[in-house]
Amino acid sequence: MTAAAAKVSPACAHCGAPIERGIYCCTGCEVAADIIRGAGLDRYYAERTAPAPRPVGDTPTAWSEVPTEALDGGCRAATLRVDGLTCAACAWVTERVLQATPGVREATVSLTTGRTRVEWDPDVVDLERITARVAALGYRPRAAGALAPPDRTLLVRLGVAAFVAMNVMLLSASLYAGWFDGMDERYAALFRWTSLALATPAVLWCAEPMLTAAWAGLRVGVLHMDLPVSVGILAMYGHGVVATLRGEDAWLDSLTMLIALLLAGRVAEQGGRRRAVEAATALAGTAPRSARLEDGRSVPADTLAWGQRIVVATGEEVAADGVVVQGEGRVRMALLTGESEPAKVGEGDRVVAGAVLEEGPVVVRVEAAGEGTLVARMAAELAKAADRPAPPALTDELAPWFTAGTLGAAGVAFVAWGLAAGWPQGARIAMAVLVVACPCALALASPLATAAGLGAAARRGLLVRSGEALRALAEVEIVALDKTGTLTRGEPEVVAGDDVTVRIAAALERGSAHPVARAVLREAARRGIPLPDATAVVETIGVGVRGQVDGVSREVRRGAGPGEIEVVGVGTLKLRDTLRPDAARTVAALKARGLRVVLVSGDHAEVVEAMGRAAGVDEVVGAVGPEAKAAWVRAQPGKVMFVGDGVNDGPALAAAHVGVAMGAGAASSVLVADAVVAEEGLGPVLAGLRAAAAARDAVRANARRSVVYNVSAVGAALAGLVNPLVAAVLMPVSSGLVLWGASRVERST
Amino acid sequence: MNAVVFLVPLAIALGAVFAALFIAAASHGQFDTLDDEARRVLDD
Repeated sequence: MTAAAAKVSPACAHCGAPIERGIYCCTGCEVAADIIRGAGLDRYYAERTAPAPRPVGDTPTAWSEVPTEALDGGCRAATLRVDGLTCAACAWVTERVLQATPGVREATVSLTTGRTRVEWDPDVVDLERITARVAALGYRPRAAGALAPPDRTLLVRLGVAAFVAMNVMLLSASLYAGWFDGMDERYAALFRWTSLALATPAVLWCAEPMLTAAWAGLRVGVLHMDLPVSVGILAMYGHGVVATLRGEDAWLDSLTMLIALLLAGRVAEQGGRRRAVEAATALAGTAPRSARLEDGRSVPADTLAWGQRIVVATGEEVAADGVVVQGEGRVRMALLTGESEPAKVGEGDRVVAGAVLEEGPVVVRVEAAGEGTLVARMAAELAKAADRPAPPALTDELAPWFTAGTLGAAGVAFVAWGLAAGWPQGARIAMAVLVVACPCALALASPLATAAGLGAAARRGLLVRSGEALRALAEVEIVALDKTGTLTRGEPEVVAGDDVTVRIAAALERGSAHPVARAVLREAARRGIPLPDATAVVETIGVGVRGQVDGVSREVRRGAGPGEIEVVGVGTLKLRDTLRPDAARTVAALKARGLRVVLVSGDHAEVVEAMGRAAGVDEVVGAVGPEAKAAWVRAQPGKVMFVGDGVNDGPALAAAHVGVAMGAGAASSVLVADAVVAEEGLGPVLAGLRAAAAARDAVRANARRSVVYNVSAVGAALAGLVNPLVAAVLMPVSSGLVLWGASRVERST
Repeated sequence: MNAVVFLVPLAIALGAVFAALFIAAASHGQFDTLDDEARRVLDD
């Protein structure tokens, strides 16, 4: 190789990994590229904005057992989730490759959520082959999780309300114009009656969520903003009917605008919540759909009964929660414990659905299956959280005052003006008071700021589950960090070893999913070492890997010593779990916010102390088990935010004021946490705290602005200065102010 | 001005057609995420 050629290292044309010669780094990439070019989709390589993932083989899901829908014409359909889509071109190429597959009638891939819907003809192709194509491209198809499609009704209500509001505003503008030069009574009547006809469905259908919420709250004695809002809506509509009948001006434009604005606030809040929950469910994963009985039959996992025995072979996922009754092996409960090392299991040990059996086979006696498994139960809990209506916020506490104030002021206006200028004028002024006192802006203050806060946090990597969680985040005083996987990477990193050893080890470890293998490959990439081909590679679980590199027989022995792997006859590599690169910086920033930072870990005290000192925390608590961690959290004098990643952090996460799970950690932690860190690193935690504080300040500022507006507007109405035109202008102005206040959240995060 | 008597209901009816299209699109999931369908139009 010449000096010039040595400077630019060639890379795999598909995934971009450095290679020594050839076009592709492995057969997987070659196959993927063939599929793409074969379908005439070369555009993918030109348009993609991120390198393709390396195809490493499908996690075994029994696709034949996944329930599918039957459609007219004999076709079948299914909804899956596909992971690994990094850019628009990925979603495009997956969609097109699926559509080009013979027998597939329709395929739609969502880049945002990973949800994929496929329709196919069962006589030509089956789900197994369809998902194999997706996997061959390097993406990871899975059975879809529990989340239902978003509440489309709310969006439709908003659409109809907006349509009505805009048309009524046009008609009202015509009527207002008529005040100046006069308008033929026939046309005025036409406009008024059309406005009423449009406003009626808006009130009866679109406003239904507000009216039912107010009624439900009233029945149990909980008063929130929907109550004065509903009073306003009903009063305006009632007056509108009477006024139209009598040929007078009504307030229908304010009414329809109010309904549209409030629905917009609800849609914004629901959207923010949904995105966070959807992403968290995606991180958690799902359990396999089928299990094998001892007699060899395959049955759907949900039909397993307590006491049944299932066989799990090497490399398969355990299908249900249960106890091992025969055989022994090693189980990777990364889904549950966040641990990178497989745990030994033998007779009497528990395993959970979703765990991967690295060494087997074992026979498991089922204790909980299908919906009853730990993972499924928690996923259901999470899915429910997505659509629960928001609980009362700061602004809701003002609700009873508003209702009383509104009705009181309207009553005073009616009596005072009625006595002074006659009852019709009194009624008109009273209506004006009622309309401007209507807390549209106040009702929007909290949902808009919450949606802004959730969005700001999500964009910076922290998926907060709900408005409640966001509010709780703003109240945190103490930050407790777990060690493994939170403060540290959770995966071993190569800390010492020469290039020759790294090169050979990486070449042999290329096909393995073992965390040590991943560490070695990362190190090779970091050092920029191109990998040679390795042939006759044999991996022996628990021992190491053997194969031929550069024509010489080589062997990699894992576990030669603690934290060491050895390439026989060449050298050794030292591996350690290292502190995350941004750990010290994040801890310093947290302390700068006035928070107390504590490291709480189950690991040996000396190791924890050393890590704690390196990170710069205020306090270190070592050698504590899961229950002790939770007890410690409860014993603290301030509100605690606990950040962790393993199933043994579950009790602590639940006990804390705010529980934050690392997205790459255990599924059960992700499912019980109030917030999930979706990116690598601790930075998102800091960003989340800033977003929560900004949202809380925005709600307060907005509430203040709304109250000031309402009080001044009611004052003006009492003085007789407010007519329908003035009111129609004031409402969007006040709502605009609140919206502007909420938009500042993103900038202050 | 007689035209107004005829035009107002016509305009509302026309608007209602588009409202119906919106409802149909929303019910079929076109608005579930804001980016996917937009991207799809650019793909071809």
